[in-house]
Amino acid sequence: MIYLVLQTTIIMMITGGVLALLLVIAEKYLADYGECKIDINGKRQETVKGGSSLLNSLNSKNIFLASACGGRGSCGFCKCKVIEGGGPLLPTEKPFLTSEEISDNIRLSCQVKIKTDIKIELPEDIFNIRKYKAKVTGIKDYTYDIKELTLELIDSTINFKSGQYIQLHAPRYGKVKQSVSRAYSISSNESNKSMVQVIIRLVPKGICTTWVHEYLKEGDEVNFTGPYGDFYIRDTSKDIIFIAGGSGMAPIKSMLENLNENDSQRRLAYFFGARCKDDLYLSDYLYEFETKLTDFQYHPVISQPCEEDEWQGKTGYITPYLKDVIKDSKNTEAYLCGSPGMISAMVKGLKKYGISENNIFYDSF
Amino acid sequence: MKQTPEEKKIQKLMQPGTITLEGFLGEDNRHYHEIIEEDLRLLDKFGISKEQVADKLQDITDEAFESYDGITTLENGAKVEYVSVRGKVVSPFSGQRPAPKGFVKYLDPEKQISISWCPLNIRMIRDYGFFEGKGSPNRLEPELIYELFFK
Repeated sequence: MIYLVLQTTIIMMITGGVLALLLVIAEKYLADYGECKIDINGKRQETVKGGSSLLNSLNSKNIFLASACGGRGSCGFCKCKVIEGGGPLLPTEKPFLTSEEISDNIRLSCQVKIKTDIKIELPEDIFNIRKYKAKVTGIKDYTYDIKELTLELIDSTINFKSGQYIQLHAPRYGKVKQSVSRAYSISSNESNKSMVQVIIRLVPKGICTTWVHEYLKEGDEVNFTGPYGDFYIRDTSKDIIFIAGGSGMAPIKSMLENLNENDSQRRLAYFFGARCKDDLYLSDYLYEFETKLTDFQYHPVISQPCEEDEWQGKTGYITPYLKDVIKDSKNTEAYLCGSPGMISAMVKGLKKYGISENNIFYDSF
Repeated sequence: MKQTPEEKKIQKLMQPGTITLEGFLGEDNRHYHEIIEEDLRLLDKFGISKEQVADKLQDITDEAFESYDGITTLENGAKVEYVSVRGKVVSPFSGQRPAPKGFVKYLDPEKQISISWCPLNIRMIRDYGFFEGKGSPNRLEPELIYELFFK
Protein backbone atom coordinates (compact mmCIF):
# COMPACT_ATOMS: atom_id res chain seq x y z
CA MET A 1 0.00 0.00 0.00
CA ILE A 2 2.75 2.43 1.06
CA TYR A 3 4.69 1.44 -2.04
CA LEU A 4 1.66 2.26 -4.22
CA VAL A 5 1.15 5.70 -2.60
CA LEU A 6 4.85 6.48 -2.98
CA GLN A 7 4.83 5.35 -6.60
CA THR A 8 1.74 7.47 -7.38
CA THR A 9 3.27 10.51 -5.66
CA ILE A 10 6.51 10.16 -7.60
CA ILE A 11 4.64 9.76 -10.89
CA MET A 12 2.53 12.84 -10.13
CA MET A 13 5.62 14.89 -9.21
CA ILE A 14 7.44 13.87 -12.38
CA THR A 15 4.35 14.56 -14.50
CA GLY A 16 3.92 18.00 -12.85
CA GLY A 17 7.60 18.81 -13.38
CA VAL A 18 7.48 17.77 -17.04
CA LEU A 19 4.31 19.78 -17.64
CA ALA A 20 5.82 22.88 -15.99
CA LEU A 21 8.94 22.47 -18.13
CA LEU A 22 6.86 22.08 -21.27
CA LEU A 23 4.92 25.23 -20.42
CA VAL A 24 8.16 27.19 -19.95
CA ILE A 25 9.55 25.87 -23.25
CA ALA A 26 6.26 26.52 -25.05
CA GLU A 27 6.11 30.05 -23.63
CA LYS A 28 9.68 30.72 -24.73
CA TYR A 29 9.74 29.11 -28.15
CA LEU A 30 6.22 28.53 -29.35
CA ALA A 31 4.14 31.44 -28.03
CA ASP A 32 3.93 33.98 -30.79
CA TYR A 33 2.42 37.25 -29.73
CA GLY A 34 3.22 38.82 -33.08
CA GLU A 35 3.95 42.50 -33.34
CA CYS A 36 2.68 44.67 -30.51
CA LYS A 37 2.44 48.44 -30.31
CA ILE A 38 3.69 50.50 -27.40
CA ASP A 39 1.89 53.83 -27.21
CA ILE A 40 4.02 56.28 -25.21
CA ASN A 41 2.33 59.38 -23.79
CA GLY A 42 -0.20 59.24 -26.66
CA LYS A 43 2.47 60.87 -28.84
CA ARG A 44 4.86 58.16 -29.91
CA GLN A 45 4.24 54.63 -31.11
CA GLU A 46 6.85 51.89 -31.19
CA THR A 47 6.30 48.47 -32.74
CA VAL A 48 8.03 45.60 -30.99
CA LYS A 49 7.99 41.82 -31.16
CA GLY A 50 5.67 40.57 -28.41
CA GLY A 51 6.92 38.30 -25.66
CA SER A 52 9.66 40.45 -24.13
CA SER A 53 9.50 42.57 -21.02
CA LEU A 54 8.47 46.19 -21.34
CA LEU A 55 11.91 47.23 -20.03
CA ASN A 56 13.78 45.26 -22.70
CA SER A 57 11.34 46.30 -25.43
CA LEU A 58 11.87 49.96 -24.58
CA ASN A 59 15.65 49.41 -24.46
CA SER A 60 15.49 47.96 -27.97
CA LYS A 61 13.98 51.28 -29.08
CA ASN A 62 16.70 53.28 -27.29
CA ILE A 63 14.41 54.28 -24.44
CA PHE A 64 16.23 53.60 -21.18
CA LEU A 65 14.53 53.39 -17.81
CA ALA A 66 16.81 53.26 -14.76
CA SER A 67 17.58 49.68 -13.70
CA ALA A 68 20.28 48.39 -11.38
CA CYS A 69 19.48 44.68 -11.42
CA GLY A 70 19.33 44.08 -15.17
CA GLY A 71 15.61 43.31 -15.21
CA ARG A 72 15.57 40.63 -12.49
CA GLY A 73 12.78 42.39 -10.61
CA SER A 74 14.92 42.96 -7.57
CA CYS A 75 15.87 46.65 -7.60
CA GLY A 76 12.49 48.31 -8.16
CA PHE A 77 13.97 51.22 -10.16
CA CYS A 78 12.28 50.67 -13.55
CA LYS A 79 8.85 52.01 -12.57
CA CYS A 80 6.50 53.18 -15.29
CA LYS A 81 2.82 54.04 -15.57
CA VAL A 82 0.82 51.53 -17.61
CA ILE A 83 -2.50 53.00 -18.77
CA GLU A 84 -3.75 50.07 -20.82
CA GLY A 85 -2.57 46.45 -21.30
CA GLY A 86 0.31 44.84 -19.47
CA GLY A 87 -1.69 42.19 -17.66
CA PRO A 88 -2.38 42.01 -13.94
CA LEU A 89 0.01 43.24 -11.26
CA LEU A 90 2.39 40.41 -10.32
CA PRO A 91 3.31 39.37 -6.77
CA THR A 92 6.95 40.10 -7.67
CA GLU A 93 6.09 43.78 -8.19
CA LYS A 94 4.02 44.45 -5.07
CA PRO A 95 6.87 44.78 -2.54
CA PHE A 96 8.35 47.64 -4.57
CA LEU A 97 5.18 49.68 -4.98
CA THR A 98 3.30 51.86 -2.51
CA SER A 99 -0.50 51.62 -2.34
CA GLU A 100 -0.67 55.03 -4.09
CA GLU A 101 1.55 53.76 -6.90
CA ILE A 102 -0.56 50.62 -7.28
CA SER A 103 -3.77 52.64 -7.55
CA ASP A 104 -2.00 54.96 -10.01
CA ASN A 105 -1.17 51.93 -12.26
CA ILE A 106 2.56 52.16 -11.69
CA ARG A 107 4.31 48.91 -12.65
CA LEU A 108 7.83 47.50 -12.73
CA SER A 109 8.59 47.55 -16.44
CA CYS A 110 10.89 44.52 -16.14
CA GLN A 111 7.97 42.41 -14.89
CA VAL A 112 5.42 43.57 -17.48
CA LYS A 113 5.47 41.19 -20.43
CA ILE A 114 4.23 42.57 -23.72
CA LYS A 115 1.66 40.19 -25.14
CA THR A 116 -0.79 42.74 -26.60
CA ASP A 117 -0.72 46.44 -27.47
CA ILE A 118 0.08 48.57 -24.46
CA LYS A 119 -0.28 52.24 -23.50
CA ILE A 120 2.26 53.73 -21.12
CA GLU A 121 3.21 57.12 -19.73
CA LEU A 122 6.84 58.20 -19.32
CA PRO A 123 8.37 61.48 -18.13
CA GLU A 124 9.53 63.50 -21.16
CA ASP A 125 13.15 63.67 -19.94
CA ILE A 126 13.42 59.87 -20.31
CA PHE A 127 13.76 60.43 -24.07
CA ASN A 128 17.06 62.24 -23.52
CA ILE A 129 18.57 59.11 -21.96
CA ARG A 130 20.95 57.33 -24.33
CA LYS A 131 23.46 54.53 -24.31
CA TYR A 132 27.06 55.77 -24.61
CA LYS A 133 30.40 54.22 -25.33
CA ALA A 134 33.39 56.07 -23.87
CA LYS A 135 37.13 55.77 -23.45
CA VAL A 136 38.73 56.15 -20.03
CA THR A 137 41.20 58.98 -20.56
CA GLY A 138 41.97 59.75 -16.95
CA ILE A 139 41.93 58.08 -13.55
CA LYS A 140 42.83 60.43 -10.73
CA ASP A 141 43.27 59.45 -7.06
CA TYR A 142 41.66 62.03 -4.77
CA THR A 143 41.93 60.16 -1.47
CA TYR A 144 42.87 56.66 -0.32
CA ASP A 145 39.40 55.43 -1.42
CA ILE A 146 38.11 58.00 -3.91
CA LYS A 147 38.97 58.24 -7.62
CA GLU A 148 37.76 60.45 -10.45
CA LEU A 149 37.28 58.91 -13.89
CA THR A 150 37.32 60.94 -17.09
CA LEU A 151 35.25 59.29 -19.81
CA GLU A 152 35.66 60.74 -23.31
CA LEU A 153 32.62 59.88 -25.43
CA ILE A 154 33.25 57.93 -28.62
CA ASP A 155 31.47 59.44 -31.65
CA SER A 156 28.75 61.16 -29.64
CA THR A 157 27.93 64.00 -27.28
CA ILE A 158 25.74 64.17 -24.20
CA ASN A 159 23.23 66.75 -22.97
CA PHE A 160 22.82 66.78 -19.22
CA LYS A 161 22.14 69.16 -16.37
CA SER A 162 24.80 69.61 -13.68
CA GLY A 163 23.70 67.38 -10.80
CA GLN A 164 22.37 64.48 -12.88
CA TYR A 165 23.85 60.97 -12.84
CA ILE A 166 24.79 58.16 -15.21
CA GLN A 167 24.55 54.38 -14.85
CA LEU A 168 27.96 52.87 -15.45
CA HIS A 169 28.00 49.27 -16.66
CA ALA A 170 30.64 47.04 -15.08
CA PRO A 171 31.37 43.96 -17.20
CA ARG A 172 32.03 40.45 -15.90
CA TYR A 173 35.44 40.23 -14.22
CA GLY A 174 37.20 37.89 -11.80
CA LYS A 175 34.53 35.94 -9.99
CA VAL A 176 31.80 38.39 -11.00
CA LYS A 177 29.51 36.36 -13.22
CA GLN A 178 27.29 39.02 -14.72
CA SER A 179 27.52 42.66 -15.67
CA VAL A 180 25.97 45.19 -13.29
CA SER A 181 24.99 48.85 -13.56
CA ARG A 182 25.51 51.38 -10.81
CA ALA A 183 24.55 55.05 -10.54
CA TYR A 184 27.24 57.73 -10.24
CA SER A 185 26.76 61.51 -10.27
CA ILE A 186 28.53 63.44 -12.99
CA SER A 187 31.23 65.71 -11.57
CA SER A 188 32.06 67.63 -14.76
CA ASN A 189 30.32 70.76 -16.05
CA GLU A 190 27.25 70.36 -18.26
CA SER A 191 28.80 72.67 -20.84
CA ASN A 192 31.39 70.04 -21.77
CA LYS A 193 29.32 67.67 -23.88
CA SER A 194 32.13 65.49 -25.20
CA MET A 195 33.03 63.84 -21.92
CA VAL A 196 31.80 63.13 -18.41
CA GLN A 197 33.71 62.78 -15.18
CA VAL A 198 32.49 60.74 -12.22
CA ILE A 199 33.84 60.50 -8.67
CA ILE A 200 33.70 56.97 -7.26
CA ARG A 201 34.38 55.90 -3.69
CA LEU A 202 35.47 52.29 -3.10
CA VAL A 203 32.70 50.39 -1.34
CA PRO A 204 34.28 47.43 0.47
CA LYS A 205 33.34 44.32 -1.55
CA GLY A 206 31.23 46.42 -3.95
CA ILE A 207 31.07 44.82 -7.40
CA CYS A 208 31.21 47.98 -9.51
CA THR A 209 33.50 50.09 -7.32
CA THR A 210 35.99 47.21 -7.00
CA TRP A 211 36.05 46.97 -10.79
CA VAL A 212 36.68 50.72 -11.08
CA HIS A 213 39.34 50.84 -8.36
CA GLU A 214 41.19 47.61 -9.08
CA TYR A 215 40.57 46.58 -12.69
CA LEU A 216 39.79 49.63 -14.84
CA LYS A 217 42.73 51.21 -16.70
CA GLU A 218 43.24 54.30 -18.81
CA GLY A 219 42.49 53.47 -22.44
CA ASP A 220 39.74 50.98 -21.59
CA GLU A 221 36.32 51.36 -23.19
CA VAL A 222 33.25 51.54 -20.98
CA ASN A 223 29.50 51.74 -21.51
CA PHE A 224 27.00 53.83 -19.65
CA THR A 225 23.48 55.18 -19.97
CA GLY A 226 22.20 58.57 -18.89
CA PRO A 227 21.59 61.25 -17.91
CA TYR A 228 19.18 60.41 -15.09
CA GLY A 229 17.64 62.26 -12.18
CA ASP A 230 16.02 65.52 -11.19
CA PHE A 231 18.80 66.70 -8.89
CA TYR A 232 19.82 69.95 -10.56
CA ILE A 233 19.76 73.63 -9.60
CA ARG A 234 16.32 75.21 -9.75
CA ASP A 235 16.05 78.35 -11.83
CA THR A 236 15.41 80.84 -9.01
CA SER A 237 17.41 83.62 -7.37
CA LYS A 238 17.31 82.05 -3.90
CA ASP A 239 20.41 81.64 -1.72
CA ILE A 240 21.91 78.16 -1.93
CA ILE A 241 23.46 75.91 0.70
CA PHE A 242 25.32 72.91 -0.69
CA ILE A 243 26.11 70.03 1.68
CA ALA A 244 28.09 66.96 0.69
CA GLY A 245 30.34 64.22 1.99
CA GLY A 246 32.61 61.62 0.36
CA SER A 247 31.84 61.08 -3.32
CA GLY A 248 28.81 63.35 -2.88
CA MET A 249 31.26 66.04 -3.93
CA ALA A 250 30.62 65.08 -7.58
CA PRO A 251 27.31 66.79 -8.44
CA ILE A 252 28.12 69.82 -6.27
CA LYS A 253 31.43 70.34 -8.12
CA SER A 254 29.53 70.16 -11.40
CA MET A 255 26.92 72.65 -10.16
CA LEU A 256 29.57 75.10 -8.88
CA GLU A 257 31.47 74.97 -12.17
CA ASN A 258 28.24 75.69 -14.00
CA LEU A 259 27.22 78.56 -11.69
CA ASN A 260 30.69 80.04 -12.11
CA GLU A 261 30.58 79.74 -15.89
CA ASN A 262 27.20 81.47 -15.94
CA ASP A 263 28.48 84.24 -13.66
CA SER A 264 25.84 83.50 -11.02
CA GLN A 265 25.03 86.30 -8.59
CA ARG A 266 23.35 83.99 -6.10
CA ARG A 267 24.59 83.76 -2.49
CA LEU A 268 26.26 80.37 -2.11
CA ALA A 269 27.75 78.35 0.76
CA TYR A 270 29.21 74.84 0.54
CA PHE A 271 29.71 72.56 3.56
CA PHE A 272 31.78 69.45 2.93
CA GLY A 273 31.78 66.94 5.77
CA ALA A 274 34.66 64.53 6.32
CA ARG A 275 35.79 62.29 9.14
CA CYS A 276 39.43 63.38 9.13
CA LYS A 277 41.80 65.47 7.04
CA ASP A 278 42.68 62.51 4.80
CA ASP A 279 39.06 62.45 3.62
CA LEU A 280 39.19 66.03 2.28
CA TYR A 281 39.97 66.59 -1.38
CA LEU A 282 39.78 69.31 -4.04
CA SER A 283 40.04 71.88 -1.21
CA ASP A 284 42.30 74.34 -3.07
CA TYR A 285 40.09 74.06 -6.15
CA LEU A 286 36.98 74.85 -4.09
CA TYR A 287 38.56 77.75 -2.18
CA GLU A 288 39.38 79.28 -5.59
CA PHE A 289 35.64 79.69 -6.23
CA GLU A 290 35.58 82.16 -3.30
CA THR A 291 37.53 84.54 -5.54
CA LYS A 292 35.71 83.66 -8.77
CA LEU A 293 32.06 83.67 -7.68
CA THR A 294 30.36 86.82 -6.42
CA ASP A 295 29.29 85.44 -3.04
CA PHE A 296 30.60 81.99 -2.20
CA GLN A 297 32.03 80.41 0.95
CA TYR A 298 33.58 76.96 1.25
CA HIS A 299 33.40 75.29 4.69
CA PRO A 300 35.11 71.95 5.15
CA VAL A 301 34.01 70.37 8.46
CA ILE A 302 35.89 67.50 10.08
CA SER A 303 33.97 65.30 12.50
CA GLN A 304 36.85 63.43 14.14
CA PRO A 305 40.15 65.29 13.54
CA CYS A 306 43.25 63.33 14.54
CA GLU A 307 46.03 65.07 16.48
CA GLU A 308 48.39 64.75 13.55
CA ASP A 309 45.83 66.56 11.36
CA GLU A 310 46.63 69.85 13.19
CA TRP A 311 43.21 70.95 11.96
CA GLN A 312 42.32 74.58 12.70
CA GLY A 313 39.00 74.64 10.87
CA LYS A 314 35.44 73.67 11.73
CA THR A 315 34.94 70.45 13.67
CA GLY A 316 32.05 68.20 14.70
CA TYR A 317 28.78 68.02 12.83
CA ILE A 318 27.72 70.44 10.07
CA THR A 319 24.27 71.24 11.54
CA PRO A 320 25.32 73.88 14.13
CA TYR A 321 27.17 75.87 11.45
CA LEU A 322 24.14 76.11 9.17
CA LYS A 323 22.59 78.98 11.12
CA ASP A 324 25.66 81.15 10.40
CA VAL A 325 24.94 81.12 6.66
CA ILE A 326 21.14 81.22 6.59
CA LYS A 327 20.12 84.84 6.12
CA ASP A 328 16.50 84.31 5.12
CA SER A 329 15.27 80.73 5.45
CA LYS A 330 12.27 81.37 3.17
CA ASN A 331 14.69 82.48 0.46
CA THR A 332 17.11 79.58 0.74
CA GLU A 333 17.45 76.31 -1.17
CA ALA A 334 19.62 73.38 -0.07
CA TYR A 335 21.25 70.79 -2.33
CA LEU A 336 22.54 67.69 -0.55
CA CYS A 337 24.59 64.75 -1.72
CA GLY A 338 26.11 62.12 0.51
CA SER A 339 25.40 59.06 2.60
CA PRO A 340 21.84 58.35 3.75
CA GLY A 341 22.91 59.08 7.35
CA MET A 342 24.22 62.49 6.39
CA ILE A 343 21.17 63.33 4.25
CA SER A 344 18.80 62.35 7.06
CA ALA A 345 20.65 64.47 9.63
CA MET A 346 20.94 67.47 7.30
CA VAL A 347 17.27 67.46 6.30
CA LYS A 348 16.35 67.55 10.00
CA GLY A 349 18.85 70.34 10.66
CA LEU A 350 17.76 72.47 7.71
CA LYS A 351 14.09 72.12 8.63
CA LYS A 352 14.94 73.11 12.22
CA TYR A 353 16.38 76.36 10.85
CA GLY A 354 13.20 77.05 8.89
CA ILE A 355 14.05 75.81 5.41
CA SER A 356 11.01 74.29 3.75
CA GLU A 357 11.20 70.65 2.69
CA ASN A 358 10.16 71.82 -0.79
CA ASN A 359 13.43 73.72 -1.02
CA ILE A 360 15.65 70.80 0.01
CA PHE A 361 16.87 68.69 -2.92
CA TYR A 362 18.80 65.42 -2.94
CA ASP A 363 19.08 62.13 -4.81
CA SER A 364 17.89 59.22 -2.71
CA PHE A 365 20.37 56.65 -4.04
CA MET B 1 17.75 17.86 -2.64
CA LYS B 2 14.82 18.71 -4.90
CA GLN B 3 14.53 22.41 -5.59
CA THR B 4 11.83 24.56 -7.11
CA PRO B 5 12.94 26.91 -9.93
CA GLU B 6 12.55 29.79 -7.43
CA GLU B 7 14.85 28.08 -4.91
CA LYS B 8 17.39 27.39 -7.64
CA LYS B 9 17.30 31.07 -8.55
CA ILE B 10 17.85 32.12 -4.93
CA GLN B 11 20.76 29.69 -4.48
CA LYS B 12 22.31 31.07 -7.69
CA LEU B 13 21.87 34.69 -6.59
CA MET B 14 23.66 33.85 -3.33
CA GLN B 15 26.87 32.86 -5.15
CA PRO B 16 29.89 35.22 -5.14
CA GLY B 17 29.93 37.84 -7.87
CA THR B 18 26.21 37.79 -8.50
CA ILE B 19 24.60 40.30 -6.14
CA THR B 20 27.66 40.99 -3.99
CA LEU B 21 31.32 40.30 -4.62
CA GLU B 22 31.61 37.73 -1.82
CA GLY B 23 28.10 36.29 -2.03
CA PHE B 24 25.98 35.12 0.90
CA LEU B 25 27.18 31.58 1.52
CA GLY B 26 30.89 31.95 2.34
CA GLU B 27 32.61 28.57 2.45
CA ASP B 28 29.40 26.85 3.47
CA ASN B 29 28.61 24.06 1.03
CA ARG B 30 25.13 23.49 2.42
CA HIS B 31 21.99 24.56 0.58
CA TYR B 32 20.57 27.78 1.99
CA HIS B 33 17.58 25.80 3.26
CA GLU B 34 19.85 23.67 5.44
CA ILE B 35 21.63 26.75 6.78
CA ILE B 36 18.28 28.29 7.72
CA GLU B 37 17.01 25.07 9.33
CA GLU B 38 20.15 24.64 11.43
CA ASP B 39 20.17 28.28 12.59
CA LEU B 40 16.47 28.26 13.44
CA ARG B 41 17.06 25.09 15.46
CA LEU B 42 19.74 26.94 17.40
CA LEU B 43 17.46 29.94 18.02
CA ASP B 44 14.81 27.55 19.26
CA LYS B 45 17.32 25.99 21.65
CA PHE B 46 18.12 29.46 23.02
CA GLY B 47 14.41 30.27 23.34
CA ILE B 48 14.46 33.24 20.96
CA SER B 49 12.71 33.86 17.66
CA LYS B 50 14.07 35.27 14.41
CA GLU B 51 11.70 38.23 14.83
CA GLN B 52 13.20 39.01 18.26
CA VAL B 53 16.69 38.93 16.75
CA ALA B 54 15.59 41.18 13.88
CA ASP B 55 13.87 43.62 16.26
CA LYS B 56 16.99 43.86 18.44
CA LEU B 57 19.30 44.45 15.48
CA GLN B 58 16.86 47.00 14.03
CA ASP B 59 16.66 48.96 17.32
CA ILE B 60 20.45 49.19 17.51
CA THR B 61 20.66 50.08 13.81
CA ASP B 62 18.14 52.91 14.28
CA GLU B 63 20.06 54.27 17.27
CA ALA B 64 23.37 54.06 15.40
CA PHE B 65 21.86 55.71 12.29
CA GLU B 66 20.79 58.71 14.37
CA SER B 67 24.42 59.33 15.29
CA TYR B 68 25.09 60.40 11.67
CA ASP B 69 28.16 58.28 11.01
CA GLY B 70 29.63 58.86 14.49
CA ILE B 71 30.19 56.38 17.33
CA THR B 72 27.39 56.10 19.91
CA THR B 73 27.56 54.47 23.31
CA LEU B 74 24.45 52.44 24.13
CA GLU B 75 22.93 52.08 27.62
CA ASN B 76 24.72 48.74 28.10
CA GLY B 77 28.09 50.39 27.37
CA ALA B 78 28.39 48.92 23.87
CA LYS B 79 29.78 51.18 21.15
CA VAL B 80 27.99 51.27 17.83
CA GLU B 81 28.64 53.03 14.58
CA TYR B 82 26.54 53.19 11.41
CA VAL B 83 28.81 53.35 8.39
CA SER B 84 26.72 54.87 5.62
CA VAL B 85 27.32 54.05 2.00
CA ARG B 86 25.36 55.47 -0.93
CA GLY B 87 23.31 52.97 -2.84
CA LYS B 88 21.16 49.95 -2.19
CA VAL B 89 21.74 46.23 -2.31
CA VAL B 90 19.13 43.84 -3.62
CA SER B 91 18.08 40.70 -1.79
CA PRO B 92 18.52 37.19 -3.20
CA PHE B 93 14.99 36.43 -1.95
CA SER B 94 12.48 37.75 -4.46
CA GLY B 95 9.87 40.10 -3.09
CA GLN B 96 12.23 41.80 -0.62
CA ARG B 97 12.85 45.48 -1.21
CA PRO B 98 16.45 46.59 -1.76
CA ALA B 99 18.17 47.55 1.49
CA PRO B 100 20.55 50.46 2.17
CA LYS B 101 24.20 49.52 1.61
CA GLY B 102 25.45 50.82 4.97
CA PHE B 103 26.49 48.60 7.87
CA VAL B 104 26.57 48.71 11.66
CA LYS B 105 29.70 48.04 13.72
CA TYR B 106 28.92 46.85 17.24
CA LEU B 107 31.54 46.49 19.99
CA ASP B 108 30.84 45.15 23.48
CA PRO B 109 33.95 46.26 25.39
CA GLU B 110 33.09 44.19 28.46
CA LYS B 111 32.68 40.91 26.58
CA GLN B 112 35.38 41.89 24.09
CA ILE B 113 33.12 40.89 21.19
CA SER B 114 32.62 42.87 18.02
CA ILE B 115 30.23 42.08 15.20
CA SER B 116 28.82 43.94 12.23
CA TRP B 117 25.69 43.62 10.15
CA CYS B 118 23.88 45.41 7.37
CA PRO B 119 20.19 46.30 6.95
CA LEU B 120 19.79 43.43 4.47
CA ASN B 121 20.84 40.95 7.22
CA ILE B 122 17.95 42.18 9.36
CA ARG B 123 15.42 41.70 6.55
CA MET B 124 16.69 38.23 5.65
CA ILE B 125 16.66 37.17 9.31
CA ARG B 126 13.17 38.54 9.96
CA ASP B 127 11.53 37.11 6.83
CA TYR B 128 13.46 33.88 6.33
CA GLY B 129 15.71 33.20 9.35
CA PHE B 130 18.72 33.45 7.03
CA PHE B 131 21.91 34.43 8.89
CA GLU B 132 24.13 33.73 5.81
CA GLY B 133 26.53 30.84 5.33
CA LYS B 134 29.57 30.13 7.49
CA GLY B 135 32.57 32.15 6.31
CA SER B 136 30.42 34.79 4.64
CA PRO B 137 31.66 38.30 5.60
CA ASN B 138 28.21 39.20 6.93
CA ARG B 139 27.43 35.89 8.65
CA LEU B 140 25.88 36.44 12.09
CA GLU B 141 26.40 33.46 14.39
CA PRO B 142 23.19 32.77 16.34
CA GLU B 143 25.26 31.75 19.41
CA LEU B 144 27.00 35.12 19.36
CA ILE B 145 23.73 36.99 18.94
CA TYR B 146 22.32 35.12 21.93
CA GLU B 147 25.46 35.79 23.98
CA LEU B 148 25.43 39.51 23.20
CA PHE B 149 21.75 40.41 23.33
CA PHE B 150 19.65 37.77 25.03
CA LYS B 151 21.71 35.99 27.73
